[in-house]
Amino acid sequence: MNRKVLLVGLGISLPLLVLLGFGFRHDPQIVESPLVGKPAPNFRLADLDGNIVDLAELRGRPVIVNFWATYCVPCWAEHPLLLEGSRRWQGEIHFLGVIFQDDPDLIAQFTAEYGRWGPSLIDEGGRVAIAYGVYGPPETFFIGRDGVIVDKAIGAVAPEQLLSVANRMLAQSAAATG
Amino acid sequence: MTSALGQGFVLLGLIAAGFGAAFGYIAGVKRSAAGLRLTRRLALLFAVAMVGASAVMWYALLNHDFSVSYVAQVGSLATPLHITIFSLWSSLEGSILFWGLILGLYIAAAATFQRRGHEDYLAYTLATLLGIGAFFTFLIASVADPFAPTPPPVPVDGPGPNPLLQNHLLMAIHPPMLYLGYVGMSVPFAMAVAALLRGQLGATWLRPMRRWLLVPTSFLTAGIMLGGWWSYEVLGWGGYWAWDPVENASFLPWLTGIAALHSGIVQQRRGTLKAWTVILIMITFLLTILGTFLTRSGVVNSVHSFTQSPIGPVFLGFLGLCAAAVVVLLALRIDTLVSEPSNERLVSREGAFLLNNLLFVSLMFTVLVGTLYPIVAESLRGVKVSVGEPYFNRMAVPLFAGLLLLMGVGPALPWGGSDPKLVRRALVRPLPAAAVGLVVALLFGARSAPVLIVSAFAGFALWVTADQGLRPVRARPRRQGGRGPLAAVLVAPDRLGAYVVHLGVLITFVAVAVSSTFQREAESTLRAGDTLRLAGYEMTFRGAERVQEPHLIRHQAEVEVSTNGRSRGVLYPSLNIYPNQREPIGTPAVRTSAGHDLYLTLMNVGSDGSIGLRAITTPLVAWIWIGVVIMVLGTALCLIPTAAERRATTPRAVPDLAASPAGGGQ
Repeated sequence: MNRKVLLVGLGISLPLLVLLGFGFRHDPQIVESPLVGKPAPNFRLADLDGNIVDLAELRGRPVIVNFWATYCVPCWAEHPLLLEGSRRWQGEIHFLGVIFQDDPDLIAQFTAEYGRWGPSLIDEGGRVAIAYGVYGPPETFFIGRDGVIVDKAIGAVAPEQLLSVANRMLAQSAAATG
Repeated sequence: MTSALGQGFVLLGLIAAGFGAAFGYIAGVKRSAAGLRLTRRLALLFAVAMVGASAVMWYALLNHDFSVSYVAQVGSLATPLHITIFSLWSSLEGSILFWGLILGLYIAAAATFQRRGHEDYLAYTLATLLGIGAFFTFLIASVADPFAPTPPPVPVDGPGPNPLLQNHLLMAIHPPMLYLGYVGMSVPFAMAVAALLRGQLGATWLRPMRRWLLVPTSFLTAGIMLGGWWSYEVLGWGGYWAWDPVENASFLPWLTGIAALHSGIVQQRRGTLKAWTVILIMITFLLTILGTFLTRSGVVNSVHSFTQSPIGPVFLGFLGLCAAAVVVLLALRIDTLVSEPSNERLVSREGAFLLNNLLFVSLMFTVLVGTLYPIVAESLRGVKVSVGEPYFNRMAVPLFAGLLLLMGVGPALPWGGSDPKLVRRALVRPLPAAAVGLVVALLFGARSAPVLIVSAFAGFALWVTADQGLRPVRARPRRQGGRGPLAAVLVAPDRLGAYVVHLGVLITFVAVAVSSTFQREAESTLRAGDTLRLAGYEMTFRGAERVQEPHLIRHQAEVEVSTNGRSRGVLYPSLNIYPNQREPIGTPAVRTSAGHDLYLTLMNVGSDGSIGLRAITTPLVAWIWIGVVIMVLGTALCLIPTAAERRATTPRAVPDLAASPAGGGQ
């Protein structure tokens, strides 16, 4: 038995293995948002038909707020997913779109052609986008029954994220959180 | 039905590998010819099972059999046929199955081609290979089962493979090349294990080992190059190498593999460095497993990573097991591999080889540390960091420059290096070539010290490479009475091959140095009719159109390129939108010439029809790929048997005598 080889070998490989084992604790892709876990900033906005939507009135049911625009390519990419989601959780989860620096006419054209998964709200002056700290479309905020932001997606929402967060929000009991 | 058939083949493979590993080991201990025969049959059976399982998967993919979970995951009715074929390795489970297939083919090849001339070791070699095969079939049968039946209801269509993989034909060949490289490293590893178990290391070990190491190293070279090329042609950032963790993962075993090839030469010529060669081969194999783990476990962030999956911990376990086995085996048996006594001088051919090994291993550690540092930082301090190009470039460039210098100095030095006068002459003669390299670089406007140093070293190395490589061609005809240069080369094709490889390395090296130093770029928002100017090019935006294809929507810009008012053709950079993808994927348009590339990327398409266009000119990019092609051709030359080997192809019953005389020291 060559002890030198044994010691050097173990000295290099053991710490490496322990280190790699530690690597499992974190998903390197997750970047946390300071808004997650905080109450969602309230808004009262009109949609394309002039109907007023008040976020506070929707409390008790989860809400998905998506900031989007027709010029934004990932927004198109996630469009079918949101359509499917809004159909799947109809009456269970509210889907709200907030127009991010775009022409409401173009938005109307787009939804007429490709389908509509929720009201598209006109954010005059981008005040709501600023309140939510939106950097660029699309960004999606998942708001629980209690009005607290549960999760956030930057870029097009991934199907897995939509599914898991929606299920998590639906599982929250409205009574427990008041 | 299809699921069951596929799972059946995998199970068959697992059984064949498990029993084969056990029988092979016993046959090795008992030196039983019958046991070896049985092991060889089981090895072939394993290969058949892997071919069968892959065939079933291809059948399911081509028939859009969405009842097979992997097909439901990556298949799509709209995906073109050729992409469907490649989607076997486009996602995690399929890639592991593909891995099994390649391992099966390698094992079959080893069992067939090493039947003669490697008898002493073959039982242990096959046992080790089948042990690795057993692990992979276990993975396929359990945590990464691509044949698992899709839970009902079975979908009528699937999402299709990852768009990045659909975007370019290179994706069809880059992963298989890398896998052929990665998996192929199992064979020299198995041979190294066999040598340790046998406690000897003679000519019938070294020759086959070098060949089996050369093949995967060459595939790895090609695979890494194709990955860089793909990144350049598809990802749209204008570069080809970003020190991304997964790129590094393929680079690590390549470095140690090449180090082992060189130390094997010293072993062949001088009978020294035996234990060192074995250690290098073992590290190479462990690094391939580490690389696979990094890619597939999701512990590092990379464009390549597969999603997080239960395969990670299992792979880590396997890595731990292999590392432990290697360390213990080395500790127990390394003293049996005795090198011939030597009192070498540093300024000699073997001294240069030793330094070369030192540099390769340092490079490997440098890259390894940079790759793993983010995990260290996160584990210890809880902060996210990424180690970027500055670290790698600062650390790696001097080491590479050292290797370049050695590539010139090493082959010029005589073996043994006994006569100082000879040594001095060998080192002085190429100096004018170094000066020429320096002057050429100055003429082309290079002023930075690294580029000038690289140019001088490259000139030196080029002279030595040409001188050494052409030596047999120049010498033979005179001595052997009119024998043509081809015949002269065929006496020792590996010698010429080695220098052809060096030539390819030199070309790639210079091209990398120049292309990374003299890149120029411009970026602008253009409306139809607007012109962007860069390095003598005028790029006029003619208009953009939206093209609907079955599996994607493409925004394509028409850009007319001209120089000095003369049209040079039209380029079409595009942005592709795949329904299953979060971000649009750009496809750059590249105009390649011998001197430089013009590279156009579409950054975005505005609602008013304007585009964001980025143009990059990079000199000598094409020569990077050409250099690698030359390296691969050189390797092919090395694989042609030498005249001595061809004479010796008739089987000899000579046992592999312990090639080292008694009383040798390390």
